[in-house]
Amino acid sequence: MPELKTELRNNIEQLLNDQAVDVVIAFKKADLPLRPQPAFFRNVEELEDLEYNGLCQNNLANYLTRYPHDTKIGIVVRGCESRSVNALIVEKQHPRENLYMIGVPCQGILDIRKIINKTGEDITDYSEDGDQVSVIFKGNEIKLQRSDLLHDSCLRCVHPNPVNADVLLGDPLPEGDPTIVRQAIEEFEALDRDERYAWFQKEAERCIRCYACREACPMCYCTECFVDHTTPRWTESDISQAGTQAWHIIRAFHQAGRCTSCGACERACPMDIKMTYLTDKLNKDMLEVYQFEAGMDDNTPPPFASFNLDDKNRFVI
Amino acid sequence: MMYILVKKNLDQKLSEWSAKYEVVAPQKVEAYSQFLPFTESSELALNEPHNTRYPPKSLFLPQSEVMLKYNKRLNKFDEIRILPEKRIIFGIRPCDASALTLLDTVFDTEEYQDPYWAGRRENTILVGLGCSEPPSTCFCTTVGYGPFNHDGLDAIMTELDDVFVIEALSAKGEKLFSDFPAATNEHELSVLRIQSNAKQGMNQAFETEGLKQTLDHLFESDYWSEIAESCLGCGVCTYLCPTCFCFDIVDEVQRNERVRNWDTCMFRIYSQEASGHNPRPTISERTRQRLMHKYSYWLDHIEKIGCTGCGRCVRYCPVGLDIRAMLRTASNFESEVVNVG
Ligand code: SF4
Ligand code: SF4
Ligand code: SF4
Ligand code: SF4
Repeated sequence: MPELKTELRNNIEQLLNDQAVDVVIAFKKADLPLRPQPAFFRNVEELEDLEYNGLCQNNLANYLTRYPHDTKIGIVVRGCESRSVNALIVEKQHPRENLYMIGVPCQGILDIRKIINKTGEDITDYSEDGDQVSVIFKGNEIKLQRSDLLHDSCLRCVHPNPVNADVLLGDPLPEGDPTIVRQAIEEFEALDRDERYAWFQKEAERCIRCYACREACPMCYCTECFVDHTTPRWTESDISQAGTQAWHIIRAFHQAGRCTSCGACERACPMDIKMTYLTDKLNKDMLEVYQFEAGMDDNTPPPFASFNLDDKNRFVI
Repeated sequence: MMYILVKKNLDQKLSEWSAKYEVVAPQKVEAYSQFLPFTESSELALNEPHNTRYPPKSLFLPQSEVMLKYNKRLNKFDEIRILPEKRIIFGIRPCDASALTLLDTVFDTEEYQDPYWAGRRENTILVGLGCSEPPSTCFCTTVGYGPFNHDGLDAIMTELDDVFVIEALSAKGEKLFSDFPAATNEHELSVLRIQSNAKQGMNQAFETEGLKQTLDHLFESDYWSEIAESCLGCGVCTYLCPTCFCFDIVDEVQRNERVRNWDTCMFRIYSQEASGHNPRPTISERTRQRLMHKYSYWLDHIEKIGCTGCGRCVRYCPVGLDIRAMLRTASNFESEVVNVG
């Protein structure tokens, strides 16, 4: 990992020096060892703080939509992030020519809560080396296996390599096994209706409607989310059963064919609510019905955002 | 007067209290903890180093609360007055209890009294649990409180190996514990040692002296857009914060109810006006509001900082933004501004 970080730094330094981009979106170190933060590098001196490790838990593509289209953006992308960027390009959220994607094949993002579960909360130092993670907790070093700490979405990841990156740092990794994600969904599908509903209820109804999941998702960029509409109001805005369930269902459905299974929504949730089982299920359906996976190129519109005048089904027009 | 509660009798004691009171205590839900009514099958989460993730302010200001029901056909409405049964909140941390005293200055003043809030405050006994080993994300001492602060509490417990040592702090607290065995000298000495170690183990997270003036001075500066660049504008830091109290009142017409819900200055629609104009158009202005409210406007109102250093916003921000780091930057930023100017 340290070499990768050096390579990354050199690459970004070059981009900034050449004035090829106005800003580079990456991660930086913060005071808390487990919490690297999204960062926006505009000059070389700031690169002292650059960070790249398994704890970089956000999807950086999320920030693309904040910039005017003529901003030249460099962005560090892992597999899912590159697909989010592609999906955003398809949706015309930033022109491809004003983007420079620095691709990094991804070993998987670690779930901070899995680490804390194994150690305790007050970790004062963190380092990783291959599959070894080492943390300092109450002055003692604790060694952990990276593979035990991966976020659930990353355990199911199929495409760890960036798609359409302008440069690729590090060696490409083998593709993930698509049967893993399929199995996880099939387990859910195999439950009977009541069991599925009980599962959904248990997750959705803990929701405090903080919308961190929405704000952390690159594809949730609407200026006005349906839950924020006041005239008319589409859902109850409280934490009632009706309100939280409607929020969870509709959010997921708005992601069909757009979600790249990055898991950023789940990692952002303060209430440990599972929600990727819904989007992963929809992604599986999109693949089966339309042979479509979001973000695999930067020009095919998602099935639900495209139409065909010769469509043999007449229900839309 | 100090009493002891032997740990192995804890469940039994809580059950006994349950006959007369509603007993609420921190319990595990998934990987986090939250205050929930105590039942025989409750698994208490008293051994976490800090407060519950979901804040106990919800026991006084529920996240969604029905305030009245109306019947359009009969043209009448029923006001819902919740006079809760007598309640014990067991194991609340000092930061959360002191936050309640701050919120009293909002919901229970000479001028305005919120009957929902005041009724619940009146009927509740707060038994606190001091923090023997505060984690590094907590900073209560920096903002004028501490891991064994008494504000708002009726009693405070210090955890020893097999017992909780209890100091009664109010008449309510004294009455609740008066038939408990008295603590020994040895217990009392241990308590003193634990309390002072806990306090000494905490660092000054940022300078509070002059902080308000610094922030006021930075009101129109780029400081806010700089510190808020990665902020998502979500509701995590404010919803989990024990001193944030903003709410929105909504008529859920489909079920004929008027509901009060938590709201937050970090949301775009919080300040969105009907005309379409938004006086806080970006996350920078919203972040400014959040920080200024806590570290400047509260001081204008009651000469106290509106943050008790509970650490939740630090621990749970999805992008790792740390309010302490933001505030430390404020003074640096100001000196830069001044030096350049
Ligand atoms: S819905 Fe969740 S998993 Fe899907 S793209 Fe958005 S953040 Fe990623
Ligand atoms: S982040 Fe979690 S609690 Fe917040 S709105 Fe999303 S699901 Fe609900
Ligand atoms: S601002 Fe942060 S540390 Fe202060 S009381 Fe609120 S959540 Fe706790
Ligand atoms: S929790 Fe973090 S990301 Fe969310 S509004 Fe607060 S500072 Fe911003």
